[in-house]
Amino acid sequence: MAVRITGLGIISAIGLTVAENLFSLENSRSGIAPVKYLDSKNDFLVGEVKCSNAELLGYLNIKSQPVSRTSLLGLAAAREAWGRNRHTPELRTGFISATSVGGMDTTERFYKDYLDQNNPDYAVLRCHDSGNTTERIAAELGITGYINTLSTACSSGANAIMLGARLIEQGKLDRVLVGGTDALTNFTINGFRSLMIYDDQWCRPFDESRTGLNLGEGAAFLLLESDKSARISGNPTICCLSGWANAADAYHQTASSPEGTGATMAIQNAIEVSGLSALDISYVNAHGTGTKNNDLSESTAMINVFGDNIPDFSSTKPFTGHTLAAAGAIEAVFSALAIQKGLIFPNLNFNTPIAETGLVPITELQKDQPVVAVLSNSFGFGGNNSSLVFSVNR
Amino acid sequence: MESLKEDLKKQIIEQLNLEDLQVSDIDDDSLLFSADGVGLDSIDALELIVLMEKFYGIQVTNPEEGKDAFLTINTMADYIEKNRN
Amino acid sequence: MSFITACCQISEEACAVNGNVIVRKDEQSADSWFKQLYKELALDYPKFYKMDMLAQAGFLASEFIKKAFPELVSSYADDEIALLFANSESSSDTDIRFKESFQKRKSPSPSLFVYTLPNIVLGELAIRNKFYGENMFAVFPKFAPEFFLQYGSVMLATGSKAVLAGWLNILKGKVEVSVFLIEENKADGLPFNKENIIKCVGLADQA
Repeated sequence: MAVRITGLGIISAIGLTVAENLFSLENSRSGIAPVKYLDSKNDFLVGEVKCSNAELLGYLNIKSQPVSRTSLLGLAAAREAWGRNRHTPELRTGFISATSVGGMDTTERFYKDYLDQNNPDYAVLRCHDSGNTTERIAAELGITGYINTLSTACSSGANAIMLGARLIEQGKLDRVLVGGTDALTNFTINGFRSLMIYDDQWCRPFDESRTGLNLGEGAAFLLLESDKSARISGNPTICCLSGWANAADAYHQTASSPEGTGATMAIQNAIEVSGLSALDISYVNAHGTGTKNNDLSESTAMINVFGDNIPDFSSTKPFTGHTLAAAGAIEAVFSALAIQKGLIFPNLNFNTPIAETGLVPITELQKDQPVVAVLSNSFGFGGNNSSLVFSVNR
Repeated sequence: MESLKEDLKKQIIEQLNLEDLQVSDIDDDSLLFSADGVGLDSIDALELIVLMEKFYGIQVTNPEEGKDAFLTINTMADYIEKNRN
Repeated sequence: MSFITACCQISEEACAVNGNVIVRKDEQSADSWFKQLYKELALDYPKFYKMDMLAQAGFLASEFIKKAFPELVSSYADDEIALLFANSESSSDTDIRFKESFQKRKSPSPSLFVYTLPNIVLGELAIRNKFYGENMFAVFPKFAPEFFLQYGSVMLATGSKAVLAGWLNILKGKVEVSVFLIEENKADGLPFNKENIIKCVGLADQA
């Protein structure tokens, strides 16, 4: 059975709404630029949402503080995806949000005040916990039923979507708002820099010269509904979520296996769950972070699954930066837009294929395409690999 | 050179938190990054880069460059001799 | 019907398989207690030295079970053995060491940081044995035999043929380690119930 997607919401470096994101994707406008909003000593290239916290508070009309930037971004996207839906006792509604940093942005400010003995506000520490991010958004939306927070590094967003789909499939929920949110923090930037996988130039996914990623921030949510829920809400179906899978590498605590073992299993199993064949996949929205390790491993996995018939593929991370727990959700929204608008998005900054695999991504926007099924990959640290399959509503 | 190798082994054990290992457990030519040798991995390579800068003032900016240098204790010692001022 | 078919317990001074002490700590040895156990196993797996004590504990206990019953693990497909572990101290032992190393060196150590999550022990077991089955690590206020019974039963009812379970507490020298194997349709073990879980883990007073 397929799960209906009836609402989309997104905020990222390339726009504050779905419409703005689509416009940037169609016009090859990257949101990656030197640090402007984050309190940082350096001018690293990052994909920041182009709003200060004060502007976000005003935009969202939030009065009650403290609140983390992660919550604010999540709320912006969740509100857009929820739209004008109403609460009704007829429909059991859930909310599942993924985050990797939670309220780390507020904690960093607290920590600075604490070290400087500058009257630190202990109340902000309440925002630190990942679950607080989710509960804050759920409270603003008035969702009180099933609420869950997932944190599995870079596959978090995809796993939140998968968990929501399974809860609908099992009849535990009628509809569920799923997605992820992560604000940019010094903690994550420095962490990725210490792993020496942060590119000081624009990230170049699937390019031989790639040397790392650029981090980004943002949030995206999707409203998933069962047939019953869609009938009651009357919401039109944008597309369906038809396949999902998660698989591990059993290779290393942090690195993906060069053979792409877990990635191959995740892709294969997700396509199998969807009931489609590999040949039905019109477009792959790749994880494509721009690190040596991921892109090689992912390319190998695509060759393992698709052989000589590699579908059109691209990484949209050169637009948004790698948004960690939000990435799977942001790219799920892009996948739904690809189907809805018949588009295949370009992989910016690509020049030379990876020597070992020779794969060439789509580098120019493709319009008026019959996009019937999209595979979206999200591969996390520790070989936590997830793949989702989106397809047209038939 | 011999004392350099001895120091290196001590520093690796300390930097990588391999307290259970002794200097005598690491041979000069055992492959540091092989499962049959010392079994180090990409995360440890980063620690070795930190070690090179901290103890020998040598900056390795490209992790790829470290691959040949960090093959064995012998190659690390050679690399230090060549690059140390 | 499921049975507990093997168990290994490690304390501060002894290691027992199925209730029989097989190694006692040599206080005179220059080696740490866990290194003594590793040498006893006569394995060639240098990655052992990189693991934190929590991961070493899970590794050692599971290897002693495999050594005593070599056919146990080899008789299942790679996704048929589930991992079900829990403790009450999370990764605190390593968290403290990470904090201390940070204070001393003024820069975080990636190789220590990796182990500041308790479930990394599951990763080490999966990597060592190429296990691709279900896995779960839970942190409780105290030993919870019902958790092993309920969650283990769910795993066995949803595709897993065997469950490697464990209670692992490591903190500042405290060693409280018990790993046990639960199998379906093997009558030559202890019935998989609360009493026998308590017996295997040896924490009757806490349960």
